[in-house]
Amino acid sequence: MGLFGTFGFEEAGLYDEYEKLNPDITIKQDVIERNENYYPALLNHLTSNSGLADVQAVEVANIAEVVDTQADRFMDLGKAEGASEDAFLDWKWQQATADDGKTIGLGTDVGPMAVCYRKDHFEAAGLPTDREEVAKLWEGDWEKFLDAGRDFRKNGPEGVAWVDSADAVYDGAIASSEGKYYDESGEVIYKDSPDVEAAWGIASTAAEEKLTGNLEQFTKQWDQAMSNGDFATISCPAWMLGYIQEKGGTKAEGKWDVAQSPRPGNWGGSFLGVPESGAHKEEAAKLVAWLTAPEQQAKLFAERGNFPSAPPAYDMEAVRTATNPYFGDAPIGELFSAAAEEIPVQTIGPKDQVIDDNIGNGLQLIEQGKQDPDGAWDEAVKAVDNALDQ
Amino acid sequence: MTQTGTAVDAPPSAEGGAVPKRPATEDRRQKWRSRRYRWDAKLSPYAFISPFFLFFAAFGLFPLLYTAWASLHRVELTAPTDMEWAGLHNYTRLFEDHFFWNSLWVTFTLAVLSTVPQLLMAMGLAHLLNYKMRAASFFRVAMLAPYATSVAAATLVFAMLYGRDYGLINWFFGLFGVDEIDWKSGDWTSKIAISTIVIWRWTGYNTLIYLAAMQAVPHDLYESAALDGASRWKQFRYVTIPSLRPTILFTVVVSTIGSVQLFGEPLLFEEGAGASGGPDHQFQTLGLYLYEQGWRNLHLGRAAAIAWVMFLILVVIGIVFGLISRRLRKS
Amino acid sequence: MATLTETAPETAAPARRRRRRAPKAGEAGGQQRAGKLTYAVLLLFTAISLFPLIWTAIAASRTNERLAETPPPLWFGGNLFANMETAWSDANMGLALFNTTLVAGAIAAGTVLFGTLAGFAFAKLRFRFKNLLMLLVIGTMMVPPQLSVVPLYMAIAKLEWIDQLQSVILPFIVSAFGVFFMRQYLIQALPTELIEAARVDGASSVRVIWHVVFPAARPAMAVLGMLTFVMAWNEFFWPIIALTQENPTVQVALTSLGRGYIPDQSVIMAGALLGTLPLLLLLLLFGKQIVGGIMHGAVKG
Repeated sequence: MGLFGTFGFEEAGLYDEYEKLNPDITIKQDVIERNENYYPALLNHLTSNSGLADVQAVEVANIAEVVDTQADRFMDLGKAEGASEDAFLDWKWQQATADDGKTIGLGTDVGPMAVCYRKDHFEAAGLPTDREEVAKLWEGDWEKFLDAGRDFRKNGPEGVAWVDSADAVYDGAIASSEGKYYDESGEVIYKDSPDVEAAWGIASTAAEEKLTGNLEQFTKQWDQAMSNGDFATISCPAWMLGYIQEKGGTKAEGKWDVAQSPRPGNWGGSFLGVPESGAHKEEAAKLVAWLTAPEQQAKLFAERGNFPSAPPAYDMEAVRTATNPYFGDAPIGELFSAAAEEIPVQTIGPKDQVIDDNIGNGLQLIEQGKQDPDGAWDEAVKAVDNALDQ
Repeated sequence: MTQTGTAVDAPPSAEGGAVPKRPATEDRRQKWRSRRYRWDAKLSPYAFISPFFLFFAAFGLFPLLYTAWASLHRVELTAPTDMEWAGLHNYTRLFEDHFFWNSLWVTFTLAVLSTVPQLLMAMGLAHLLNYKMRAASFFRVAMLAPYATSVAAATLVFAMLYGRDYGLINWFFGLFGVDEIDWKSGDWTSKIAISTIVIWRWTGYNTLIYLAAMQAVPHDLYESAALDGASRWKQFRYVTIPSLRPTILFTVVVSTIGSVQLFGEPLLFEEGAGASGGPDHQFQTLGLYLYEQGWRNLHLGRAAAIAWVMFLILVVIGIVFGLISRRLRKS
Repeated sequence: MATLTETAPETAAPARRRRRRAPKAGEAGGQQRAGKLTYAVLLLFTAISLFPLIWTAIAASRTNERLAETPPPLWFGGNLFANMETAWSDANMGLALFNTTLVAGAIAAGTVLFGTLAGFAFAKLRFRFKNLLMLLVIGTMMVPPQLSVVPLYMAIAKLEWIDQLQSVILPFIVSAFGVFFMRQYLIQALPTELIEAARVDGASSVRVIWHVVFPAARPAMAVLGMLTFVMAWNEFFWPIIALTQENPTVQVALTSLGRGYIPDQSVIMAGALLGTLPLLLLLLLFGKQIVGGIMHGAVKG
């Protein structure tokens, strides 16, 4: 198996279990930590048909490009033994399916989003701390989220930002809208998309009004800010809880809670595919089908917090009743299941990641005071256009 | 550089029976020996350099030619054999490419900011290390520690040092009442910070190279200089430096090439920035821009063109160096 | 510089002998005794050089949680061995260390041997197209390495070398840097008269290399070998594409640490330390070797 990042199959004991069920199979995994290293290598291996593992993982940000350009290098898992389209969230299934109906990967996890918040800072600012009431503060509208932020800034503790970064606000807002960067025919429409404009508007306002902490996610600085409680809220896909717990540590124990996000959306998640050139294609396809079946996804959630992409899992005991003690015993199973089923079906495109990164850069320019929102948008457009032009 | 040492074409002994009185067998042996000798002198240079060129032809030439070919095409990493002829478009577009000019400027400033102090410091340190002292090998090895430190570790440490809110450097400046500096987002501050990483990584390396060369300088030169009453500084200036000239030229060329290709340090400087060199591309070098085009945006043809432009820039720099060193030698 | 090298051989040996008998301080710039200030400056630079390494060890001895806190830990904690054990078992470290020793050793040996041979030829021998060929060598250094990766991978895949060590050894077994380095060193360090003398005695090229060039080049060979070994040890970009965790080098194995959304920095640091330790050990040994090389003297009659 060729993987990147964390899937946690091994840690959750799933390999051992499968090997026990199928004594003639041994599973080895080959993991590269960062997708930005993994993905170009995967492309190299695919295009030269060598060096591939029997199973290869693909991140959601890259799946459209792989479907577009490498579909003939992968097996059709839609017909694999034990794989059932009905078991998956429809949009998740479609993301890995080409126009001709070939499904090149089965979904592992998804990232339904909530908002994590610091109860202590909310209390200090005179905001509610109960997760239901907090969710009501901003229910249905990201503008309300900003309003709450303005209140927070007026009455909240000194030196604490409302939200970690403008980019994260943008990611939350765009994930919860109907459209993204491509229309259904596959044309890039980000410049004229009302959804992008709205999400940009909210995020750039947050940046301009200095509601954000001017932090870049997944950097040391961000980790430290998390540990020291320098921001009050953060967009929280299911897997982010583990991150906060790890970085916040005992210092922040009992201070965090999690509430529904203004509007549900998806951030992250992956797929497993089986390359055509593999030596054990049939066995690999069976393994993938088994690993992504609802039962195993539920186990993985219970063990590792990766949220299932298979709705039948949501009714299972392990998911339904899951709570998280670090977040004040929040009923995360229920909360994320509700969010997952409301996630809008978006058209994704091959260059989503590139567009996303450059828009994020634009928002940082505002946070750092180098550009006003209009100037920053122009910069972002310039960079995106340059990146897309072949 | 123009030394034409040995080469010694065969000594003028055996010009076919110049000494007729000698017995025939010995004469033949002599002849055979001298012929072997001549062939040896003529062919051995090529034998000595051939491994390099053979391996280069096997593993270096194909990539080079492929890159040249690819730069004339529209070709994506998702299908590297699928090329569409584009002529010089990938080159001409660079003239209007704001990001290219930016990266050129960044590369130039970073090269100056890092190379000059690095080599000066290395020379000074090598001079000190050349003294007789205790724990000499400890110091030498310690100088090389940055070069041996893993990239992951170095990144984490420098990210920590240059942190905006909790960085040690800002804490230190704070003691003198300096405000928090946002090292990574500033235009010049980020460049200065990155050059310190480069300097940190490569000074010890150059020190060792200088040291190895200094130790080959004959000691009697110093002794006679000392007898003439030359001070330590004068000995350094008039004995050490001239003796080291080939090595200095070497380090200048290598560091210049290295700084034009500068890649690892700016890539790792800020974990989140990836290949963009910061939101304003304020530390995106040519190497980084090439990488972004090829490996992030997946445009192999465009990246190949940038690679060739880098190559040409280096060739021009090389010619300038060559002219300068020829001038210096004459004067 | 021409005059320098020419005067070298007759006088170097006696000078050395004299020095050995009576090492007087401040006598000659090459071997003055270090003063207090020298030690102070060197200690400062040593501290700066070692700091990240020491901090790596500190980080490796802590927990992931503690690393995120401020101020960061500045002294060792108690988790070093636990973290190293995790790193050792999570990444394929045993095989990786073995492989990397092999790879870096082969690359260093090749670079030194071929670099010395070619460097000597370019520095001291006369042959046709010499300058042109030397320019070509320098030219190959200027090719940006990032771009060779795709065509090189295509070639390696054709040869079916993926996941095999020769795929990371052979493309790097010669280096233009090595040739250039040895050339510049030998121009100055190897007196032309020595070679001429050997030649007049009827020595073949192989004998000249063995008895004249190698002894003179030894300090530079040690430096080049060490620099190349370290560089090859830390090479990352290409091996991660050509190899997998089935048959990794250290840097490839390390990429499998800290999987995921929540990378455990302390384990990553422990792994990085594990990967660097053999290198430091080797540097210590080689450091001595270089000192030894100088004692023997670069120029042997």
